[in-house]
Amino acid sequence: MSSTIGTQLRSRIDTRSDEYRANLAEMQALWDEVAAQHDQIPTIGGQRYVDRHRRRGKMLVRERIEALVDPDTPFLELNALAGWGTQDPIGVGVCQGIGVIEGVECAITGTDMSVKGGSSNPTTWKKQQRIYEIARANRLPMINLNESAGADLPRQADLFIGGGESFRRLTQLSKAGIPTVTIAFGPNTAGGAYVPGMSDYTIFVKERGTAYLGGPPLVKMAIDEIVDEETLGGAEMHSRTSGLSDYLAQDEMDGLRICRQIIRHLRWSKLGPGRTEPDDPPIHDPQELLGVAPADVRIPFDIREVYARMLDGSRFEEFKPLYGSTLVCGWGSIHGFPVGVLGNNGILFSEEAAKGAQFIQLCNRRDTPLLFCHNITGFMVGSKAEQGGIIRNGAKMINAVSNSEVPHLNLMVGASYGAGNYGMAGRSYDPRFIFTWPNHKVAVMGPKQLAGVMEIIARNSAAGRGVEVDEDALLAQTSALEAQIEEESTALYSTGRLWDDGIIHPGDTRAVLGMALSAIHSNVVTGAESYGVWRH
Amino acid sequence: MSFVSTPTGTLSARIGRLMIANRGEIVVRIASTAHRLGISTVGVYSEPDRNSMHVDTVDVAVALGGATPAESYLRADAVIDAALAQGCQAVHPGYGFLAENAEFAEQVAAAGLIWVGPSPADIRLLGDKIAAKKAAIEAGVPTAPLFEIEAADDLPDDVPFPALVKAAAGGGGRGMRVVRSSDELADAVAAGSREAEAAFGDGTVFVEPYIERARHVEVQVIGDAHGHVIHLGERECSIQRRNQKIVEESPSPGILPETRAALCEGAVKLAASTGYQNAGTVEFLVGEAGTVDEINFLEVNTRLQVEHPVTEAVTGVDLVELQLRVAAGEALPVVQDDVSSSGHAIEVRVVAEDPAAGWLPSTGEVTAFDIGEGVRVDTGFRAGAVVSPDYDSMLAKVIAHAPTRTEAAARLRRALLGSDVAGVTTNVPALTAILGEPDYLAARTPTAYLDEHPDVVAVLGPSGGDLDALLLAAVFAAEASSRSVGSANPLAFVPSGWRNVRTQGQRQAWTRAAEPEVEHHVEYTISADGAVVLLGPPPAITDDGSFADDDRRRVEVRLLRRAVGEIAIEVDGVRRTVSTAVVDGGYRTRSTAGSAMWTLAPRFVDHDAEAAGSGPVCPLPGSVLSVHVEVGQEVTDGDVLMVVEAMKMEHRITATGTATVSAVHFAAGDRVDQGDLLVSLESVDG
Repeated sequence: MSSTIGTQLRSRIDTRSDEYRANLAEMQALWDEVAAQHDQIPTIGGQRYVDRHRRRGKMLVRERIEALVDPDTPFLELNALAGWGTQDPIGVGVCQGIGVIEGVECAITGTDMSVKGGSSNPTTWKKQQRIYEIARANRLPMINLNESAGADLPRQADLFIGGGESFRRLTQLSKAGIPTVTIAFGPNTAGGAYVPGMSDYTIFVKERGTAYLGGPPLVKMAIDEIVDEETLGGAEMHSRTSGLSDYLAQDEMDGLRICRQIIRHLRWSKLGPGRTEPDDPPIHDPQELLGVAPADVRIPFDIREVYARMLDGSRFEEFKPLYGSTLVCGWGSIHGFPVGVLGNNGILFSEEAAKGAQFIQLCNRRDTPLLFCHNITGFMVGSKAEQGGIIRNGAKMINAVSNSEVPHLNLMVGASYGAGNYGMAGRSYDPRFIFTWPNHKVAVMGPKQLAGVMEIIARNSAAGRGVEVDEDALLAQTSALEAQIEEESTALYSTGRLWDDGIIHPGDTRAVLGMALSAIHSNVVTGAESYGVWRH
Repeated sequence: MSFVSTPTGTLSARIGRLMIANRGEIVVRIASTAHRLGISTVGVYSEPDRNSMHVDTVDVAVALGGATPAESYLRADAVIDAALAQGCQAVHPGYGFLAENAEFAEQVAAAGLIWVGPSPADIRLLGDKIAAKKAAIEAGVPTAPLFEIEAADDLPDDVPFPALVKAAAGGGGRGMRVVRSSDELADAVAAGSREAEAAFGDGTVFVEPYIERARHVEVQVIGDAHGHVIHLGERECSIQRRNQKIVEESPSPGILPETRAALCEGAVKLAASTGYQNAGTVEFLVGEAGTVDEINFLEVNTRLQVEHPVTEAVTGVDLVELQLRVAAGEALPVVQDDVSSSGHAIEVRVVAEDPAAGWLPSTGEVTAFDIGEGVRVDTGFRAGAVVSPDYDSMLAKVIAHAPTRTEAAARLRRALLGSDVAGVTTNVPALTAILGEPDYLAARTPTAYLDEHPDVVAVLGPSGGDLDALLLAAVFAAEASSRSVGSANPLAFVPSGWRNVRTQGQRQAWTRAAEPEVEHHVEYTISADGAVVLLGPPPAITDDGSFADDDRRRVEVRLLRRAVGEIAIEVDGVRRTVSTAVVDGGYRTRSTAGSAMWTLAPRFVDHDAEAAGSGPVCPLPGSVLSVHVEVGQEVTDGDVLMVVEAMKMEHRITATGTATVSAVHFAAGDRVDQGDLLVSLESVDG
């Protein structure tokens, strides 16, 4: 096929080798751990509360989403394990992601009443703001399936500010021309009342949805008025009297039906060019991605083995193949969406940084989204590197990444340490989506290096003060530090802090990136025309 | 068998163009023979039939107008005018309509046209039950005696019991009474006579011995103008519903050879005694044992019978050809000794009716019409045709011929299982069940067969694994279409129903046209090469909010081949090929085990539509000023139901059609809101 991009990559992996099988087993074990976390989510609030919710004739948030999206379409849940390893429950009482409603890809977020009564904790706001950002950047209609007891009051200090930002973001979506729809399935109290308040369209479920700034107890306290919930903020009242509710739904399913009806009348069309390349599957089985990367991120592997199982037809056109060999750049497509891919085959030197900066500029010229496949332990250090201008060249790459305007995607297939994470457009560089393999490690540097650095500093400090080093204490301190950093570098730790949009099964990489790219193409896909001053 | 016409060429010389004064399958049947013989055909049609199959089959057709038989096919004058105008030399009446109308036969002859049927005199004589039976007795036909009733107070005293009181005119069981002892006779005669008088305008009744658990056996005869009469063997047509045959076969599996000989000889004697010309059928009842001592002559049908194809199958004779030849004056090209019967033939009548609902006719558009292979199909229907209440609801006759009865039944059953007739309810499942039922296969088939086998009547088509496969083929055909190119799914490139955190599969409920009140719940999760499917209603939520036990059946499905209109589906390791078609927004699926029409239940209920459909809703918020109806009251278009005051105006709430009030939801003075259902109405047909 002469019209396709690139040439077919050949894999050097022997899937019958012990090495491949060992990788596969280790990755599977890591995935099983993630899957076990996923399994906990639907009843994380406690079976008692799940049962109580159902007993009230209400649907769980995931049941609502299943009933809302089109039959047989995929749903890409995002930030599913937010809150992992924190004091907040896994998922933080919110289910959100990208789903198809009436043929339109929408950002959907919903509160889970079975988790602490749907109350908001600081991570809840953070997670919801993430979906608002995804809706904004990708121009996806935003659906709120709302019911919440309000803020987790004892933690008000940590969430007062974030809550306000949520409402601002919601109305800014509206300003940007992104439709916002809220279905009130239950209470929307105090600040929560601004979720419908800030939405373009609101649907209140009869006898269920309520909204008021102050509930009956507060009203009694504040102005000594004795009033029932319905009069104060019931669905009927808001539909007939206050006008806060645009549609009165007979029941939950009716609310979902009305939401679908609203999306239908939007006559929404996507602004990106969409799928322009042939979308034949890779020659090499994408399921083999499970055994491509070693679970131990210190063991290198050829990133082209990932490309061969991720890109359409395993086709890849490599840019500068003979220059800067540890950064493998080039063009291909995923499910028909063209992408410029950058992936690491080792640490970044000056050549790689310059090559990466040039490649990013080229993709911006051609409005091609960029996919960064992280397996990076950082930029090269040492006198040779410094004298060769590693800071100057690294700065070029970070300048390019920072000012690039084509959509960026991150795929974490191994380590992502230090400034390497920045150069590869990591979390702080606002990529549209970040997806992580279970073996991923992220930190300022590797745990051993970090502990080692600290050990050297401790020894230097001791020497400076002229005291003898307590070898046992230092060993214990160094080991503890290494263990702590190891713990804080894992994929689960990272996803729990919303450093990514979710840990994915490596075999799902193509599907997930395809959905992310499709969402991206809901908005215009254009590149930058200018950058910061280049340090030549 | 081939025929030599004697005298040579008489048929061709005398009949070049034939009027077929009928509709439906029999027109197609007759035209087929006529065309083979080089005879051109003229048909007639009512307005609803203007594009039907029989009209396409004939060379030219003449509009009769109207819709009901009286307005169209029964218009003798119009038919004769059409025949003359179109240059026909002969009229074939088919069966039904004008076929046994002696007056019409006379009119045809008077118009100088050849009547393809027996003489008007024979039609008259044999159409009178008492006269026919007397003629039969006189001709030496084996039969139980006839006891005439001269007067209500002069009852015969030599009647053997049980006996049957019958009306001399008409049929269909009206006026009939079974009498078990002599003291019941007077009452039965009086009641039967009253009923006959009411139904036919003729209260004449007679009495004859009653044969318990009888079989219906009939003999096909044909005579020519040269004094020849032959029989073409017998048919047994015992399986009947509402006195109408649905399964017919030849030879009769339930009579002894000597009985067969007696019936056939008797039938020929009767026909010969009247100088009968053309085709006719002499009908008998025979005891279940099929012995020669339990025979009762019933009547003679002076026309071509619906079930004539079974005779054609076993004898190799084209009965329509013989009819045309003898009508043209040719001598019968076969003599009795040439007639032999080979193998066994069974015919079933595929009828648009609902056996489970008392064989109620089913009307509407036939959306799919395809009968399986290896059988003869006589039909006037095709997909797109409409079964109208004005005409017979028989869709097709399906005939299988095989060396043995068992084989013929098996072949016919297989063809029916592979059939696809949609849009109307049919008796195909019941026919299929009969053909596989042990009593039927053992020829234990008295006319009470269907009453004694309610199980075959209740059959709704395929069951078990066959039904699962038909349902799942619909499920995955729908699944494929929601992911096809051109579907609204922008993420169709992702595996179907993909989830990274999965809590449930795709949940659906389907209903089958044969059993619309039953919901088939399905929950499926697509995997790499198939799906895991849960069949059955999802677990209910108990009082404490937890789920009841999940007792759904879990099956593993692989979709081995998916093409447009066909799915090779493996369900728990058993593979079937199922064809699929989208019909009226639902899915029609069909395998060699049968077919089914499936509709996906809507996920959402449109409450506005629901309210609007069942009665008037309040147009504005206001209050009820007055209520004008009460529950049970019948209302018609324009009747005021309620007056609502809103926005300082009186709004009259009126009925929009004929209906019965089933509930009044508000009283005078009540507040009502916009969209509130005010009165529930149940529509009344007509």
